Amino acid sequence: MMEVRIRAIVEGKVEGSILVSRSAISFLGDIDAKTGKIIDSENSLYGECLKDKIFVFPRGKGSTVGSYVIYGLRINNVAPLALVTKEAETIVIAGAILADIPLVDQPDIDIFNILESGDNVIIDTNEKKLIIKK
Amino acid sequence: MYLTKTQEEMLSGAKGVALAKSMELIVKIGDVYNANQLIPIKSAQVAGVSYLTVGESIFSFFDLLAKDTVKVKVPTWLNPAGMDMKNWQEMGISSDFAEKQFKIIKFYESLGIEPTLTCAPYLIGHQPSFGENLAWSESSAVSIANSFYGARTNREGAPTSLASALTGLTANYGLHLTENRNPEFLIKVKANLDSLSDYSALGYWYGKNFHGSIPYFENISHLDINEAKMLASALAASGSVALYHVKDFTPESSSVDIKNIEEKVEFTEYEKKGIYEYFKQIRKGVELVAIGCPHASYEDIKLIHAILQSREIKKNVEFWIFTSSKTKKLVEVESLLNDLESRGIKIYADTCMVVSPSVGGAFKNIITNSAKAAHYLCRADTTMVDLLPLKSLMKEVTE
Repeated sequence: MMEVRIRAIVEGKVEGSILVSRSAISFLGDIDAKTGKIIDSENSLYGECLKDKIFVFPRGKGSTVGSYVIYGLRINNVAPLALVTKEAETIVIAGAILADIPLVDQPDIDIFNILESGDNVIIDTNEKKLIIKK
Repeated sequence: MYLTKTQEEMLSGAKGVALAKSMELIVKIGDVYNANQLIPIKSAQVAGVSYLTVGESIFSFFDLLAKDTVKVKVPTWLNPAGMDMKNWQEMGISSDFAEKQFKIIKFYESLGIEPTLTCAPYLIGHQPSFGENLAWSESSAVSIANSFYGARTNREGAPTSLASALTGLTANYGLHLTENRNPEFLIKVKANLDSLSDYSALGYWYGKNFHGSIPYFENISHLDINEAKMLASALAASGSVALYHVKDFTPESSSVDIKNIEEKVEFTEYEKKGIYEYFKQIRKGVELVAIGCPHASYEDIKLIHAILQSREIKKNVEFWIFTSSKTKKLVEVESLLNDLESRGIKIYADTCMVVSPSVGGAFKNIITNSAKAAHYLCRADTTMVDLLPLKSLMKEVTE
């Protein structure tokens, strides 16, 4: 068990298995809003589905329409449980607010050195904590 | 963040769901970036128009907004759609797609938004003034507004620009504040910038290497709006850059603080060549030339006409120029249309190669003079691109 301090942007408390992208994500282009799958062939998570996972990625990038892709994930019932990023930017924040997906950022340690896809974590925005269970 | 009583009311839902959600977006993002208050905007430019990019999820969002009767509070313009609104059949657009596209635009119009359908509103009479606060979302237009005109806008998301249009407000943070507009890297441009695509290569190279930062370019000897938009769009595509300064040309270049820049880098012929090499993917048979990313101006079209001289586009090659319908209807452009068309060049309005299903994926081998276009087109697994200066690409596809 390990506790990481985070900043809460969109509130929520969730527990689940994570998917970790090592590269920045352009929600428009990298993620299919219909299926929730990662469709960027250069990403090591290519083909994985975000549904019911906690999605961890360094930062958002690319087209601002990406916010509607995040909203689309909710409408199509393939939304991730939560989004975790180093430094959230407008595209991801707006998408998370619209889709009501818990969003946290600014972990106080470099979680990308610790986390691997498949690990279980708890996110609690009230406590401003991310708990790694391994 | 300080909110006025009226703003509090909007946020609480007293003025309806659409305004409450709009305020929630603006205030929450403002809080993240430590904004002290909301400020009025002069205009908004809204992305999220092409059905190809927004998909079905946009209609659920529209349903949310349609719960109240809301109208935009400032002049608001739209980004390109997924098709030419007149000649969509000629582009090979299906009637299903067209129906959805018309529905999207109709909804935006019901909010009081002008369907300009261009990524470059500054080319059709909507140039912002120095120091004005805006909420624009198309990344290349954001950069032009900030850099070329000295107006102030963050790189808004499609939904946040709409939220700002509906409330007339944005949060006071980021590029709205003078202290955040200073350059972080000084780039000495040693390479010759001989063509529009050279400006594009410079922008793409910078964005790739210095993501999200503000450059100060020196040693550039010419910068008009057509060159500036190539530089802006490439900087934004590869590096999310929303503001750049060019010594002697951009309005804030003389007032920003360059003394404290620690990193100085050179852009030489070697780096320039590297970007052209990076996109050199086509091995055989060009099928399409796509020009107009950002949308072509009258000068851009005139330049192509001049380079063409008496030659014609090869029979097996399509040559498409994308622009706004307002530019296409200019008398000067109309006078060139017949001649261009008779020699194999089509001009499509309201759309572009990045947001239309008729381009990426539909053609296997595409040449363009825009690094932004090349960047997005080669994402489709089946599409190969080549970035070339206009003169070289015209040479390759004409006879």
